[in-house]
Amino acid sequence: MTNDPGPDREQLEREVYRKVVTIRFAELRIRDHVEKEGFGGFWHPGIGQEGLQVGAVSAMQDDDYLYYAHRGLGYAFAKGMPLEPLFGDLLGRASGSTRGKGGGTVHFADASRHVLGQGGTLGSSFVMGAGTAAASQLLGDGRVTVVFFGDGASGRGTWHEAALQASVWKLPVVWICENNGWALSARFTEQSPTEHVADRAPAYGMPGVIVDGQDAMAVHDATAEAIDRARRGEGPTLIEAKTLRIRGHYEGDRQPYRDDPVLGDEIPNDPVHRLGESIPDDVRRGIDAEARTQVEQAFDAALAAPRADRSVIFEDVWA
Amino acid sequence: MTTTPVTTGTTGATDRVIGYSRAINEALAEEMRRDERVWMMGQDIGRLGGVFGLTRGLQEEFGPMRVRDTAINETFIVGGAAGAALAGTIPVVELQFADFLFTAADEIFHKLAKWRYMHGGQFTLPVVVRLPSGVVGGAGAEHSQSLETIAMHVPGLKVAVPATPSDAKGLLKAAIRDPDPVLFFEHKGLYRVKGPVPESDEHVVPFGSARVARAGNDLTVVATGLMVDRALAAAEQLAPQGIDVEVIDPRTLVPLDIDTIVASVERTHRLMVVHEASRTAGFGAEIATQVQERAFFSLDAPVWRVCGTDTPLPQDPELEQACIPSTDEIVAAARALAAI
Repeated sequence: MTNDPGPDREQLEREVYRKVVTIRFAELRIRDHVEKEGFGGFWHPGIGQEGLQVGAVSAMQDDDYLYYAHRGLGYAFAKGMPLEPLFGDLLGRASGSTRGKGGGTVHFADASRHVLGQGGTLGSSFVMGAGTAAASQLLGDGRVTVVFFGDGASGRGTWHEAALQASVWKLPVVWICENNGWALSARFTEQSPTEHVADRAPAYGMPGVIVDGQDAMAVHDATAEAIDRARRGEGPTLIEAKTLRIRGHYEGDRQPYRDDPVLGDEIPNDPVHRLGESIPDDVRRGIDAEARTQVEQAFDAALAAPRADRSVIFEDVWA
Repeated sequence: MTTTPVTTGTTGATDRVIGYSRAINEALAEEMRRDERVWMMGQDIGRLGGVFGLTRGLQEEFGPMRVRDTAINETFIVGGAAGAALAGTIPVVELQFADFLFTAADEIFHKLAKWRYMHGGQFTLPVVVRLPSGVVGGAGAEHSQSLETIAMHVPGLKVAVPATPSDAKGLLKAAIRDPDPVLFFEHKGLYRVKGPVPESDEHVVPFGSARVARAGNDLTVVATGLMVDRALAAAEQLAPQGIDVEVIDPRTLVPLDIDTIVASVERTHRLMVVHEASRTAGFGAEIATQVQERAFFSLDAPVWRVCGTDTPLPQDPELEQACIPSTDEIVAAARALAAI
């Protein structure tokens, strides 16, 4: 079992911790930049949600396919994308994975690592992910597609079309809902007739699993089980990771609509701390120092990189 | 299916006379035999063979995994095709009616058209969306439209509008081999039309090459789809009256072979565009503009359009016909334009 204690598990936990804490430093560095320097786009912070993103992606194999959601960098970094092109995309630099078309929360991608991107129209990845899984089924390549989305996107009709067809065809796809309780200004509880997104899964003939999104390893284990099921040809699973939106919809959002305590710097049930508990202090401090340095160096390199030439406007329209 | 051998001067090969539907079916079958990555999905395309019979026999030959019946879910059919293309397959999907591109609009205009661009050119999306298009007789306002101009307006999509069985086959094969997404507008009113089609498996019609359907010296008529035959019929009526019409079928609107059209206008000095789609902001407006930009001083008369009405299409078959250009209207307009 994946949750057996042992050296492999300990190594996995440390690796998840390393990635989560790296993304935490990245979140803080980006926030600092947005606050001090301004920004040519919108940054949708994922602080506090790094654990579930990294935990889930750590259950994927290298050649599994990923459609990430818009809140943070945890997904892509956990899939193996280096920080510098991610920061480059955020800052609209030629060194970004989109070679300078970025700016803000963007469409970073890495074909070699099967990071397939994201749709700017939320919920469009449902149908695309099901289609990617249909291709894997046809080719028999044994790959599983993982699709992240928020509680807000769970309202899209594309969910219905994708979930129904994926379940009927038993496609190898895993849907992971990051339920942080807020779709911009809309409370999930006001937009859902059921308490959980996962409650909808049985209608599609698929398992619906609820997991504590602040517990990275619990999300890892739930995802691993769903991926195994998908790879066995038993079809999709809907995982709902319960989490919290710590910041605004975008950095700078004053959140006048928010009547729960705005969380600010306090991250209840912080995934970084939870993961760190089982790691000896000296080891953890070493990981932290290395992660901080890695983030600073990558951010500085991205800042120093040139902005894209206008010629990129006309590139990549056609193959 | 009965086939009649005929010989064409253009290919030198033995052609057969087959229907537009059969030509499309052959293109699909041949490309699926050629490349195992090619597969299809859509509503009723498998067990039934398509509501218009276009995919008949394909599920039997290629199996239910490569010819997949879906639920009524256009966002999945198109969005799923986009996702399947990212994983290394070549999906050829059918929307039962071209009008349904509006029900899959996000998937067509955002995902297919922009995914490659947004993600820095890391992916290709070799997807063909087959779109039974146009007036067919009482199908109603939501099952009869000609929407190729809308497809033309959003960068990132190639647009084919075959008017003959030969082009239907050759353009579809080109579309399937193209690395970019293609919206393939098949005219429903042409499905039963027969014509010579080369026997060869390699009958591929390149995109961006217009066909001069009839050579003439007095007036250039650009027409697509069902309107090509009507323009040709009009030309035959006008010839005895001393008006020699050149009919050009662009065959693809993206890319558009404007060079062939401009060269023709430079000889005939008159241009008329005929399309079934609504008049306002149709592709006729675009062609008229491009021609006046490049050949204004070659024109002896204004560029005219003969088009579908700026109305929804009524369901009644007679009223519906009154909403799209007839041969008589093309004749009358051409005669008036030639007299200017």
